[in-house]
Amino acid sequence: MLNAVRKLRKQISFPRIVLIVFLTAVGVFMLIPIIFLFNHAFKPLNELFAYPPTILVKQPTWRNFEQLLLSSTAGLVPFTRYLFNSAVISAIATGAVILVSTMAGYVLSKHRFHFKTMIMGLILISLMFAPETVAIPRYLVISGLGLKDTYFAHILPFLASPLAVFLMRQFIDQIPASLTEAAKLDGASDMYIFTKIIIPLTAPAVATVSIITFQAVYLDVETSTFFMTKETMKTLAYYATALVVNVPGVAATSLAAAIGLIMFLPNLIMFLLFQRKMIQTMLHSGVK
Amino acid sequence: MGSVTFNHVYKYYKGEPEPSVNDFHLEVADGEFLVMVGPSGCGKSTTLRMLAGLEEVSQGDIYIDDKYMNYVSPKNRDIAMVFQNYALYPNLSVYENMALGLQLHKVAKSDIDLRVNRAAKMLEISHFLTKKPSQLSGGQKQRVALGRALVREPQVFLMDEPLSNLDAKLRTQTRMEISKLHNQLKTTMVYVTHDQTEAMTMGTRIVVMKDGKIQQVAAPQTLYDYPNNLFVAGFIGTPQMNFMNGSIVSIDDEYYFDSKRVRLKIPPFYYPHIRSAKANLRQIVMGIRPEYILCEDWALESYSDWKVSAVVDMREPMGSNTFLYTSFGKDTLIVRTEAHTAVQAGDAITIVLRMDKAHFFDQESGVSLTAKGEYA
Ligand SMILES: Nc1ncnc2c1ncn2[C@@H]1O[C@H](COP(=O)(O)OP(=O)(O)OP(=O)(O)O)[C@@H](O)[C@H]1O
Ligand SMILES: [Mg+2]
Repeated sequence: MLNAVRKLRKQISFPRIVLIVFLTAVGVFMLIPIIFLFNHAFKPLNELFAYPPTILVKQPTWRNFEQLLLSSTAGLVPFTRYLFNSAVISAIATGAVILVSTMAGYVLSKHRFHFKTMIMGLILISLMFAPETVAIPRYLVISGLGLKDTYFAHILPFLASPLAVFLMRQFIDQIPASLTEAAKLDGASDMYIFTKIIIPLTAPAVATVSIITFQAVYLDVETSTFFMTKETMKTLAYYATALVVNVPGVAATSLAAAIGLIMFLPNLIMFLLFQRKMIQTMLHSGVK
Repeated sequence: MGSVTFNHVYKYYKGEPEPSVNDFHLEVADGEFLVMVGPSGCGKSTTLRMLAGLEEVSQGDIYIDDKYMNYVSPKNRDIAMVFQNYALYPNLSVYENMALGLQLHKVAKSDIDLRVNRAAKMLEISHFLTKKPSQLSGGQKQRVALGRALVREPQVFLMDEPLSNLDAKLRTQTRMEISKLHNQLKTTMVYVTHDQTEAMTMGTRIVVMKDGKIQQVAAPQTLYDYPNNLFVAGFIGTPQMNFMNGSIVSIDDEYYFDSKRVRLKIPPFYYPHIRSAKANLRQIVMGIRPEYILCEDWALESYSDWKVSAVVDMREPMGSNTFLYTSFGKDTLIVRTEAHTAVQAGDAITIVLRMDKAHFFDQESGVSLTAKGEYA
């Protein structure tokens, strides 16, 4: 009882109140763009062009989304095609990156083999290159392999993700070796250990890698710009940036408002979904 | 059945100049409780892990039940291991933890249920079979880990410091439980620890290791009574055996232990050992355990040949008896006496060194001149 009171008093000390007030202010400030985004997407034309601009919408309407759905580039490729491309590519790339990075992380962490340190070193070095620096070699490789205008060009470059492998290895390193050894003595195969013991324990890292990868793929414009000559193979992110150029007049503003929200929503959903999972798994994983 | 043979086994880790396990040669009989002790880094775990198949054997052979094991994978060695940090699968329930090994070995479901429940009853963990490991206390986790090994009904149990994460009381309790289990099951156990109490109380035989080498293999009492060398003599027993440098001199066909301060007569039954010893008699270490240094009146009368005087530096009451730390020249001699002794720190007292219980070691090699215990 006394303890509880003391604890409470400790919690509501003056510096703590200041901290909470300050953090709340920062939080609200950071929320403003998101609130604006949501409201903006539902504004009718006159509100979109209102001066001074308002944050909140007065007469919400679905008109912007209707227009977006019906819109198309140069009257040929419909908006839904871009949406479809983005959905397929993001889903496959995220899944594939998780598969590859967890497997690589497991082997690099829990197996002994020749040149292991060298391989890990190479992965670390490749972490240091900014994507722009490898744009030209990447172009040469992709066009050399004849992958231009295919989904492979969208997915394969993301697959080799040193960051994801590195994160996974670091995370799997925390799982005690005795756990995999106990499983080995119990008669578990490598595949069994990987799927039934390692994967359930790496859920937080998987969540992190999914968020990072999904964002990178979903927001990627370069691939569509450089490797896709066919309009039908380009993604939503490309469409969003090209909108202003391709669509004439005031319609562009209306479409931009809607597409802004659509580009943002999946990220938000992913984040909310995995953030909770992340905290949950960290609390109950029993690793620590 | 569950016999184990190490045939001159070596382990060289990459990048280490010295072998971590050096010529480990030993036979473990079926049903034996073998304890390996030694200071940190002496190669106990490495030896155990080679037996488990978790570590490659660099040189030499390992047999379990007379079958050559060097290249057999861990799961086919018919062994079960208990780890120091329990190594329970965090995402599985207690029941699933215990059942997994059996499932993977394709044991029938009804049989698994039977075995898990029997082991659970034995270890008194039946009431939390559905819990997750994170919901258990350290002692409970360790019992589950034991249970997981138990249900496998292996030929050999391997345990690597299974009790070192438990508090003192729980450790004593679990120690007795493991001993009891061994008495019931009569399965071969190889048990690694650096706790000599565990070694002395549990083992039917103890292997003392140092720097990857076996120092001595013997039954607990033999090890205590007849240590082979200085290291074993100092390692086994708390407080440590008392050591004193000196020489052995012969005067009129009698042998005496001679240090700068005293000359003590050595009892005649040691003479054959001393004569046949290949040691430099001028450089000898004499060792006497604290319980064989006496300060009671009766002892001063009975052993009047072996009296010396010393000064008490410190008094350490342990409850059941008291240890007196006395200085005798440069040496400190620990005397074990009765709990309620009137002797106080600062007192000058007369003590008896029971030379009939003394050990003599060659200073240079550390080898005992007098040990009668078996040698590895
Ligand atoms: N994976 C490894 N790579 C290189 N050297 C190792 C490895 N594992 C152990 N060693 C070395 O081998 C020696 C023996 O180690 P081991 O773990 O067998 O000691 P131990 O007797 O079990 O000690 P402890 O009581 O601390 O557990 C040590 O010197 C250690 O540095
Ligand atoms: Mg060890």
